[in-house]
Amino acid sequence: MAFNYDDYLRVEKMPTLWCWGCGDGVILKATIRAIKKMGWNMDDVCVISGIGCSGRFSSYIDCNTIHTTHGRTVAYATGVKLVNPDKHVIVVAGDGDGLAIGGNHTIHGCRRNIDLNFILINNFIYGLTNSQTSPTTPQGMWTVSQKNGNIDPTFDACALAIGAGASFVARESMLDPKKLEKVLVKGFEHKGFSFFDIMSNCHINLGRKNKMLSAMDNLKWIDSITMPLKKWEALSKEEQLNVFPTGVLRQVEQDEYCDMYAKIIAAAQGKGPKITQDDFAKKI
Amino acid sequence: MFKTENPGNAPVWVNTSNCKACDICVSVCPSGVLGMRYDHTSTLGAMISIDHPEACIGCNECELSCPDFAIYVADSKEYKAAGFSFAKLTDDSKERQAAVVANNYMSLN
Amino acid sequence: MREVISTGNELAAKAAVEAGARFFAGYPITPSSEVMHESSDLLPEVGGTCIQMEDEIAGISAALGASMTGVKSFTATSGPGISLKAEQIGLGFIAEIPLVIINVMRGGPSTGLPTRVSQADIGQAQYPTHGDYASITLCAGSLTECYTQTVRGFNLAETYMTPVFVLLDETIGHMHGKADLPDLEEIEASIVNRATFDGPIADYRPYDVPMNKPAVLNPMFKGYRFHVTGLHHGPTGFPTEDAQQCEFNIERLTGKINTVALENDGLDDLPDYEEYMLDDAEVCLIAYGSIGLGAYEAVQKLRAEGIKAGLFRPIMIWPSPAKKLQEIGARFKDKIFVTELNMGQYSREIERVIKRDDFTTLLKANGRPIAPAEMVAKVKEML
Repeated sequence: MAFNYDDYLRVEKMPTLWCWGCGDGVILKATIRAIKKMGWNMDDVCVISGIGCSGRFSSYIDCNTIHTTHGRTVAYATGVKLVNPDKHVIVVAGDGDGLAIGGNHTIHGCRRNIDLNFILINNFIYGLTNSQTSPTTPQGMWTVSQKNGNIDPTFDACALAIGAGASFVARESMLDPKKLEKVLVKGFEHKGFSFFDIMSNCHINLGRKNKMLSAMDNLKWIDSITMPLKKWEALSKEEQLNVFPTGVLRQVEQDEYCDMYAKIIAAAQGKGPKITQDDFAKKI
Repeated sequence: MFKTENPGNAPVWVNTSNCKACDICVSVCPSGVLGMRYDHTSTLGAMISIDHPEACIGCNECELSCPDFAIYVADSKEYKAAGFSFAKLTDDSKERQAAVVANNYMSLN
Repeated sequence: MREVISTGNELAAKAAVEAGARFFAGYPITPSSEVMHESSDLLPEVGGTCIQMEDEIAGISAALGASMTGVKSFTATSGPGISLKAEQIGLGFIAEIPLVIINVMRGGPSTGLPTRVSQADIGQAQYPTHGDYASITLCAGSLTECYTQTVRGFNLAETYMTPVFVLLDETIGHMHGKADLPDLEEIEASIVNRATFDGPIADYRPYDVPMNKPAVLNPMFKGYRFHVTGLHHGPTGFPTEDAQQCEFNIERLTGKINTVALENDGLDDLPDYEEYMLDDAEVCLIAYGSIGLGAYEAVQKLRAEGIKAGLFRPIMIWPSPAKKLQEIGARFKDKIFVTELNMGQYSREIERVIKRDDFTTLLKANGRPIAPAEMVAKVKEML
């Protein structure tokens, strides 16, 4: 026997519609393994995905699943979680879904510190709609919406999440699925908004016209632009510009939104004290 | 249908109906266990083949790196409890792996 | 009967909570914000949740998310907010998610007249988003109706598994006065909850329902796992492009409301309109919302002058009470007077249904109300 993925997948929907070698499948696998490590019952798990190749994530995993409109995953997930605070909510979005059209909702999810597990599948391109520029597509690369070269500067998704106040921020890639699984477990255990920037390969779209036609070439490129945090910290400022640190980049204990709202309910029902500024460490 | 059941007592086995011939498992195996074979009925005209199961060291890299749930490695504890064991990594198997990679991930046979 | 003194917006919030809503998500927008303010007080008292989201789109998305898991939810906004929410409303339609959307109408288009009244979202309420679907839209014509029609909105949403619009206008939303509300026991006895499937988990197919019937969506996290999507889907909720399935989907989505309304003369047992002094009338006034209030007085004034006027006041705007409108068209012919705070959005429907365009209209879209005296003058001119 191997790990029994059948228990976690909608097996009648396999094989997946993702391209050969697409990292989405590896991330799905790592997520399943992390859920198993957490001991979660799939009846208590809700996976919410957006629009894009990553959007099909919710079709394949066997739990309560929601496939929403483009960019709104965190907003739908906020509603799901607030009325089911003891359930486990995993949100999956692509780099376009989570950082472009969904940027605002992602920022506010981080700010609220609501206990969601936000997996950003970052393949540096809009895959499903065939190669348009995303907020993480490197400058100078070729995309169909910028056929003379992409001039748009890029987001550092983790820096954005940290700036927006997320209490757990991590980055991995699907190059090392064991590390990926470990970091997912850490984030799932964390109470608060867990932001995962998971770098993935889209050799069919990003790679095709940017000299990375095979999955392996694309993975080599991701390898060349990532480095564990400790090693990265030893680099010079110039070198750091072109390498992303991986691992857990931020983890702090912070009031979780549903817990805080429970206090509001208690106060409204006369079972607890009213909230004042003194309840918060950060008073501004 | 999709099986994670070990069809025999193999250290590693495949579900060919899921394999999309992406080459990733072949590229991550340290031990030259795997290779792609031509198969005109499948995606990209190729299919994963377990050429040297006896060389499998049970590192699980292929299973974890496969995006399509197409390749499985026996659970280490269960496999050993059943009286089987994985191989050790040798220079020969490392060389064979390098040759497979150089052969564009196609089986050497 | 409970006698209260309140505003339309606050009554709508009170109605929602008493109808069983336990989640509100929204965004401030004049003149609807008070619905959210009141909900932030009322909901935690009953263990519910009220959250102000970062924008209008997040507001409806969170409300839909909560409703998908089985909790009665609502949101409140005005015209510009409905415009922003359009895409998500569509998801609510195709995935068949119950939701009450309160729209307190103000002058439009765009930023328009934020603090002034209009009824200019009637057309939008019928077709708020792209594609084909059917809209259920109620319009409150008094303070009491701000309460009763909101309760009704929840019951219709749960029965037909769809978003339901409850329209107020700025005048009624902000009007402060006395309302007679049904007793709480009566409201609680009338509450409808969405149908659920109790059979074996393996047999559960949420969208496997006959023509013109709504989907059966179980609460989440109870063992019945299913997939919700905005794509066209098959019986289990999984995306499909199959030609026959999609044809069936669209027919069922529109038929479950429009066809049912035609066949059963309405969607529930409650009145879809009100008739005032219409029995012996020779001229029919048609008005709704706060303009209906003015029209009552206009009818009384006309009667005092010897003119046999009567009022037909629609309450369910969509689907429109077509059969009744046709009767009115056949009976009154060109002696029909329609007055509304827009450039003829309901007049168009009347024309379509009665197949006459020779009735008189008094239309205003400058943010000012229509006084009974104006209506009286125009009716006399018409006669």
